[in-house]
Amino acid sequence: MIVAERKPFEEVRAMVKDFKKVLTVGCGTCVAVCLAGGEKEVGVLNSELKIARRMEGSPIQTGGVTVERQCDMEFLEELDGIVDEYDAIISMACGAGIQFIAERFPDIPVFPGVDTSFIGVNREVGWYEEKCRACGTCVLGMTAGICPVTMCAKGLFNGPCGGTNKGSCEINSDQPCAWHRIHERLAKQNRLQNILDICPPNDWRNQTPRTIVQPGYKDRLAAFGIK
Amino acid sequence: MTQQTQMETINLSTDVLVVGAGMTGVKAAAEIAASGYRVVLIDEGTGLGKEAGSSVADLDGEELATLDALVESVNGSEMIEVMTGTRIDGAAGVPGDFRVWLSGNDDIVEKSIGAIVVASELVACPLNEAYGLNLSDTVITQSQMEAALCENPAAFAGKSVAFMLGLAQDGNPLVLERVLKSVLAMENMDDASAYVFAGDLKVAEDGLERLYLECRDKGAMTVKLTEMPAIMQEDGTLSITYDDPVLQRKVELSPDIIVVEEAIGADQVNAALADMLKIDMGSMGFLQTENVHRYPVSTNREGIFVVGGSRRVKKRYGALMDAENAAIKVRNLLGDGTITIPANKAVLDIGKCTFCLTCYRCCPHGAIYWSADNKPVISKVACQGCGICASECPMDAIQIGDFNDADMIDQVTRSSTAKADGAPTIVAFCCQNSGLEAARMAELFGMPLPKGLKTVAVPCAGKVDIDYVMHALAEGADGVVIMACHNGNCKSEKGSLYASWRAANAQGMLEAIGIEKDRICFATTASNMGADFSGILMSMEETLTGK
Ligand code: SF4
Ligand code: SF4
Ligand code: SF4
Ligand code: SF4
Repeated sequence: MIVAERKPFEEVRAMVKDFKKVLTVGCGTCVAVCLAGGEKEVGVLNSELKIARRMEGSPIQTGGVTVERQCDMEFLEELDGIVDEYDAIISMACGAGIQFIAERFPDIPVFPGVDTSFIGVNREVGWYEEKCRACGTCVLGMTAGICPVTMCAKGLFNGPCGGTNKGSCEINSDQPCAWHRIHERLAKQNRLQNILDICPPNDWRNQTPRTIVQPGYKDRLAAFGIK
Repeated sequence: MTQQTQMETINLSTDVLVVGAGMTGVKAAAEIAASGYRVVLIDEGTGLGKEAGSSVADLDGEELATLDALVESVNGSEMIEVMTGTRIDGAAGVPGDFRVWLSGNDDIVEKSIGAIVVASELVACPLNEAYGLNLSDTVITQSQMEAALCENPAAFAGKSVAFMLGLAQDGNPLVLERVLKSVLAMENMDDASAYVFAGDLKVAEDGLERLYLECRDKGAMTVKLTEMPAIMQEDGTLSITYDDPVLQRKVELSPDIIVVEEAIGADQVNAALADMLKIDMGSMGFLQTENVHRYPVSTNREGIFVVGGSRRVKKRYGALMDAENAAIKVRNLLGDGTITIPANKAVLDIGKCTFCLTCYRCCPHGAIYWSADNKPVISKVACQGCGICASECPMDAIQIGDFNDADMIDQVTRSSTAKADGAPTIVAFCCQNSGLEAARMAELFGMPLPKGLKTVAVPCAGKVDIDYVMHALAEGADGVVIMACHNGNCKSEKGSLYASWRAANAQGMLEAIGIEKDRICFATTASNMGADFSGILMSMEETLTGK
C-alpha cells in the first residue's frame, strides 16, 4: 500500500492561514490503513486547526468528509455539492488522491495534509517499511524477492558494489546491504547463477508520468471511445 | 432519554477442553463434568495423575489417595474423554465457539469447544550445579529422594542425610515443605539422621511451622547459613564444612547422602500455550499477569482459564481450589448453552471498515477475529466493551454500546462549551472502574473540586479517543484530564496504557500548535481514592487559572 505521514502541523497551518472555511477530506483506503489520513485523522487535524486559529484570534470553520478512495472519480462525486461552501480543501490522501481532487475542483485551492512517503508493508500497528519504488520494470525475479532499487543505496541491478561490508551497506552500518541479502537468499535457493547473469539496466527514461491500461481493458476503452 | 437496550441470545458450545492431566487438571475435569459439561482432558504423558507429562512428585500418602480417587472417577466418567499422548496444536475462535486441533501419535482431530482450562503442572529443576555437585548415587535431587522414600524407605536405615536448600535460590514454602516431609520420614526411621542446611526458611504456608517444629522435636538438626558451605564430593565421600553459627567455629560433617533442592517453576510449555491461545504471560513463565481483575483463574481472554501450576507456585490445596474456581467460571460463562448479551456491546460497521487490522491487533481480550470471508468480527461473548478498538480504528467503524461516538462527541461539546463564571472548564474523562468512582466519592465527601469540572464517563480509559481530547480543547475546554486505572490494575489490561500514549500524542500536538502541553493531564487512580481525584483536579484548576 501507499504509506504517508501526517504533515507537520506548522506547515498545514501556514498553507491555510488565509482561509476561513476549510474542508478536510480523508481517504478511506491506503492512508487510513497506515493511520495517517482516515476519518480519525481528519477529525484530529480539524481540532488542531481550530485550537490554533482560536488562539491567533482568527477562528476557522472546518468540515470533514472521508471518501472511500480519492483516486477514483466516482468516490469524489459525493464532494460535488459540498466543496462550494468552503474556501479551501485539505486532502489527506496520497499525492495521487490530492491531485485528483485538485483536478476535479480546479477553482478552489487544494492543499496536502500528508506527506506521501512510499509503497510499503505493515510490520505492526503503526509501523511501515518501504519496499518498492515503482520503477516500472520489476527485477524481483532475479533478486530473490528483494528489491535492489529500494534497498540498495545505489539502486544497483548487478551488485554488490565494493562497499558491501559484512552484511552492511557502506553508507551506514545500520543499513543492510541489499545485495548481501540477495546473495544469501539466492544461495539458500540454489540460484546463485542469478548473480552471475547480467541483469539489464532499467530504462530510466520511463520516469515520465506513466499510464497503464490493464490488458483486458484496452478493448473496453476503445469500444466506449474513452480517451 | 434511556432506551431499552436490545439483547441478543447466542448459542455456545459447552464442551470444555482441559489441557494437562496432572492432579490439578484431573480435578478440574472432574469438577467441570460434575457441573454437567462434557470435558476433553488431554495430556502429553502416558496417563493421568502421576503418569501425566509433567508433575512435581510432592504427594504424600493422603494426597495420593485423593489423586487415585480422582483418577478413578475421571476414568469412570462418561462425561470425560481422556486423550493421553496428545497435545494442543492450534486454537482459533472465541469463547463458546473455539476450535482446537489436538494431535496424538498419528492424527490430528478438530474439536469444537466452549471454554479452555490450562492446567500445566509445576516442574522441578535440580539445582545441584549451584552447589558444585554432580548427581550420583549419593548426591540426589529432592524428587529422587521422594521417589526413593516411597519405594524402599528401609534403604535409608542407619544413614545420615543432609538436605541443602535456600542457598541456590530464594527460600520458598513449597520447596521447604517437600524437604521437611522427607526429613520427617527419615526421623521416623530407626537411627537415620537428617540435617537441614538452609539459607532461609520460609514457613508462610498453613502447617509449615508445625511441620518444622515436629521435625526439630524428632531430632532433625537445622543449620541456618548465610553463605554457601564448602562441599566436597570425592570418590563417593561427601563432606560439608560450614561456619556453625552457634559454636562459632568451622564444623565438618560427612553425610552418607546429600539431597539438593530443586527450583519449582513454570512448565516451559506455557510459552507455547500462551502464544497459541493469545493469552498474556505473567512473570517467571506463568500464565497470569499481576492484575487484580484476573484473579483467581481468569486470563485476558474470556473463556480461557488458568489453574494451579500454570499460574503460580502454590501448594497443592491452592491448585485444587483453582480447579474448583475454574469450574465456577465455566458454569458462569457457558450456563445452559446460551448467553444473552446487549446487542450493541461493540458493533462493527463493515461498510466503514477498511480492513486495516488495527482493531484485531489491538484488542487485549482477543475478542476480534478475522472471519472466513476475510472481515473483522467482534465476538460479543469475548468482548469486554473497553473501547480500545473503537478509539484506535482510523475509520471510526466501531461503536461501543452506550458510548457511541456521536453521543460522546455531543457530550464532549456540551461539556467543553459550558462556562462556570470565570473558572476554567476542565473536561475529565473518567474510567468507570476507577476515576468515575473516585469522582463520586470526592463529591459525596464534599472534597474540593474545580467549579468548571465536567466529568465524562468512559467504560475504560481505552475508550478515550484522541479525537475526543482534541475536540474538547477545540470546543473551548481549558484543560482535559484523563483519569485511568493504575497500570497493571486496568480491567482491560492495556486500556490505561493506550490512553497514556494517546495523551502524550495529544500533548505533542499542543506543543506543535504552540500552547502549553499541561492543558492535557493523564493520571491514574483507584475507585476508592477520592482525595487523590480531588487533589489532581484542583491542581489542574490551579495550573489553568495561572494561564
Ligand atoms: S488516493 Fe492514494 S491513499 Fe487514497 S486510496 Fe488512492 S492511492 Fe490510496
Ligand atoms: S524492482 Fe523494486 S522498485 Fe522496481 S518494481 Fe520491483 S520492487 Fe518495485
Ligand atoms: S471493545 Fe475492547 S474487548 Fe471489545 S473488541 Fe474492542 S478492544 Fe476488544
Ligand atoms: S480498525 Fe476499523 S477499519 Fe481497521 S479493521 Fe478494524 S474496524 Fe476495520
